[in-house]
Amino acid sequence: MALAALWQRLTRFDRYLLLALALLVGVSFLLPFGRRPGARVVIAADNRTVFSAPLDEARRFAIAGPLGPTRLEIADGAVRVLDSPCPHKVCIGLGDARRSGDLLACVPNRIVVRVEGEAQGADYDLLSR
Amino acid sequence: MLRRPLIPLLLVLLVALLVWQRQPAADPPLSRTALMMGTLVEIKAYGADRPRLEAALDAAFAEMARLEQLFSPQLADSEVSRLSAAAGPLVVGAETAALLAMGQRIARRSDGAFDMGLGKLKTLWDIEGEQPRIPSEAARARALQGVGPEALRIDGRRIGKSAPDLQIDLGGIAKGYAVDRAVEKLRQAGVVSAAVNAGGDIRLLGDRQGQPWRIGIQHPRRPGAVVATLALQNRAVVTSGDYERYFEQDGVRYHHLFDPRTGQPARGCQSVTVVAADAASADALATAAFVLGPRRGLALLEELPEVEGFLITADGRRLATGGLEGFLQWH
Repeated sequence: MALAALWQRLTRFDRYLLLALALLVGVSFLLPFGRRPGARVVIAADNRTVFSAPLDEARRFAIAGPLGPTRLEIADGAVRVLDSPCPHKVCIGLGDARRSGDLLACVPNRIVVRVEGEAQGADYDLLSR
Repeated sequence: MLRRPLIPLLLVLLVALLVWQRQPAADPPLSRTALMMGTLVEIKAYGADRPRLEAALDAAFAEMARLEQLFSPQLADSEVSRLSAAAGPLVVGAETAALLAMGQRIARRSDGAFDMGLGKLKTLWDIEGEQPRIPSEAARARALQGVGPEALRIDGRRIGKSAPDLQIDLGGIAKGYAVDRAVEKLRQAGVVSAAVNAGGDIRLLGDRQGQPWRIGIQHPRRPGAVVATLALQNRAVVTSGDYERYFEQDGVRYHHLFDPRTGQPARGCQSVTVVAADAASADALATAAFVLGPRRGLALLEELPEVEGFLITADGRRLATGGLEGFLQWH
């Protein structure tokens, strides 16, 4: 066999090197290295994407809506609404969004916050609230 | 050097690695959101044919927008607004008449706990408005005149009201119905695996790629936490809670789920989750069970065929119907 002939022509060092590399490739099949994008916070205002940032970079910022600016924070691997000009502050009460697919919304101020990419494992597909 | 076989073998390994890296992950669902019907609507759908999925989602969102025009009490020319404004009987579209008839069946079945005639009471409290307030007992009594399961006389498409100024509010059923119709549009477009979620009113089409959908249920007192998870397919799930829209005064929470007998927010539960075949029924039954309170509410859900549910009582106890065993996981 050609492969066996090739193997015979290798030095001992080459063989160890090849085995080590083959092992690495094998392990890479089991691990998700590089296959999934990092989690991001994507924000739409009035159904149009206006902001996107990694979930693991802390920052505070504001998104403009028809009622005024809604202030948000990304920290500790989560995004949350800090303050909003809406009347009932329901969006603040929604708490943190940290799992992939998590959504926050300020309906009166027309702002939707979504966590995309591979955040920490989501244990549900949809939230009934 | 080139005669050594190491380099070709290394190249083979490299190619294997590149093949692995280029292998796509499992297809994620197509997911889109829109703000409509006063809430956030999310549709997720699985399928390999992305253009077809996109078109299906367009049709589903368009259907919900159409129904918002029909049922919104905020739009002056909606059918619901015209019915509220009508001094005498009004002929409405077949779809509106059918939804009113369905609501009336649930109103009767729940001894009036579900009521589509609370428009005046909701305006009085203005819980969802800029300046919510606690109305006087006399004002509440006036707002409740004429309400009840027999407030509407439904004769085909001809709808009569018990009082000319009875204000119709389909907030407890129309959103669920819109979710059902969106799912029907997805089904008609050939989609077999999808979920529509309109602010917590959920309907599932098929399963989630061979697995049941996992529905997290909002914890009524811990924002961002779930109190339970349901594993379901081809069902509707709707949760009604006192944490959705409320204001507090003197340490008392005043929320939007009114007891038609008193005109005050119902006090027996923190939240009720209903699982049913369709979202319109689940929507109305969640309100009805909430208003009835833990004992009668759970009994109602137990009695109805193809309906299950669970609730969190005002003092935090967790109660569920027997049929949810195996589908419900508490957290």
